Amino acid sequence: MNLLEVKNLKTFFYSDEGVNKAVNDVSFEIPSGKTVCIVGESGSGKSITAMSIMQLIDQPGKIEGGEIILEGTNLLKLSDSQMRKVRGRDVAMIFQEPMTSLNPSYTVGYQIDEALRLHHKELNKKQRFDKVVEALDLVGIPDPVEKYGEYPFKLSGGQRQRVMIAIAMACRPKLLIADEPTTALDVTIQAQVLDLMKKLQEETGTSILFITHDLGVVYQIADEVVVMYRGHIVEKASAQELFRDPRHPYTQALLHSIPTPGITPRKSRLDTVDDTVDYLSFPKEIR
Amino acid sequence: MSETIFQISHLKKYYEINLGLFKAPKIVKAVDDVSFEVKKGEILSIVGESGCGKSTTAKMILKIEEPTAGKILFEGADITKLRGNDLTEYRKKVQIIFQDPYSSLNPRWKVGQIIGEPLKLNSDMSKAQIKERVLYLMDKVGMLPEWYDRYPHQFSGGQRQRIGIARALALNPEIIICDEPVSALDVSIQAQVLNLLLDLQEEFNLTYIFISHDLSVVNHISDRIVVMYFGSIVEMKSAQELFENPEHAYTQKLLSAIPKITL
Repeated sequence: MNLLEVKNLKTFFYSDEGVNKAVNDVSFEIPSGKTVCIVGESGSGKSITAMSIMQLIDQPGKIEGGEIILEGTNLLKLSDSQMRKVRGRDVAMIFQEPMTSLNPSYTVGYQIDEALRLHHKELNKKQRFDKVVEALDLVGIPDPVEKYGEYPFKLSGGQRQRVMIAIAMACRPKLLIADEPTTALDVTIQAQVLDLMKKLQEETGTSILFITHDLGVVYQIADEVVVMYRGHIVEKASAQELFRDPRHPYTQALLHSIPTPGITPRKSRLDTVDDTVDYLSFPKEIR
Repeated sequence: MSETIFQISHLKKYYEINLGLFKAPKIVKAVDDVSFEVKKGEILSIVGESGCGKSTTAKMILKIEEPTAGKILFEGADITKLRGNDLTEYRKKVQIIFQDPYSSLNPRWKVGQIIGEPLKLNSDMSKAQIKERVLYLMDKVGMLPEWYDRYPHQFSGGQRQRIGIARALALNPEIIICDEPVSALDVSIQAQVLNLLLDLQEEFNLTYIFISHDLSVVNHISDRIVVMYFGSIVEMKSAQELFENPEHAYTQKLLSAIPKITL
């Protein structure tokens, strides 16, 4: 069963210099309880795809066409106030920079509580407090009761990202969109956060849309992979298939450009994505 | 192997943090008793997580920071004692490529000016000679001569990093310190810059001190690797040995944390 279906999504940005077709006719599905990764380089449209699902596209950008269907409802047909109820409750998002996406002047607990105050009005203060502590505990923050009153600056980068995840998971969303959530973190912390997301998925059954440029991370976390290049999807495949047998020339180039310890000969020159090749001239959306 | 270019012994850098008027200052040991050597023509990498002291070590080698204790011998001379002309000569020989190609280039300067600046300051070349040298350097790093009059914002991250590399090469240095030169770049661009760094090293017989937290990259490019953890060196070996036989628990943890693609 598919939780989310994106059909022929088009998001364009307008400027004096013309139209930038950031996301151009993109279609993919997110199955329930699975992790789908969108990979691509900067400017490939992967983040804009995620922002389009949340409808966080601001002027001069505009969603020009397509459908975003969450369990049978086309999110693009919802009114602003209906969409506000979806955000945070059904679909939650975490961002790359845990340093800048938390509000420095509110406590950690208050910021997790905010989502509950908005979406679960039936809960009283005590119940919400318990839920916040539970959320902090779930993401592996030690002493959750004490940490409720801490300000973000006292936490390390990894802990801040855990708090971000706790905020996102507080309302048990059906879909968690994670935009490069581990890019700013050290490798050992990155491994912890990825493990945490996998564990949360097992416990809650949340689907995850994971945006990254790091193919190593994709290999660790993805069930399905969508490869984007200049606003288009060039290849869609299960993670296993993609790494074993990349079909699109762009995917192949991307995979060969990372050195693999033990496989790539030391100091050999790496393959690069060739600027002179128009990868869009090859058949798109293979598989 | 070949001759030792840097001999670093018992290097320390402590920072005092004032906690208040009547409290004893807290001492942060950013670099604590670090010793290693760098041999001519090798690529030595320093790896570790944020805050482990790898950049502070580099800053002391560059003489941006003064060590609290310890010695850095460059070709036999203690760099902490360099003054005047000797210091200028030293600075010419040791150059740096920064991590972020967006903030390390002056946005109001043209490419030609940026790359030519070290020559203007440190050599007695005429304007025409400088321009000729800049164009030569641009060619070496794979940039077109017509880009001479462009501004940094007109380039992508990878191209900007090439500008930074050309600037570092301008004075014919012996050593280049590469402080996370590819971590701000896309993987495909990362490969281009790594290839360029390897090509340049061979052509100009350079020595690199390569600072990174990305172990796949470090393994690919290095001859030897120094692993730092909380200001100290925990392991120092050839790249191959380190990856095949990591001894320290922290190195093992670091290696097991690399997202591996095994096909």
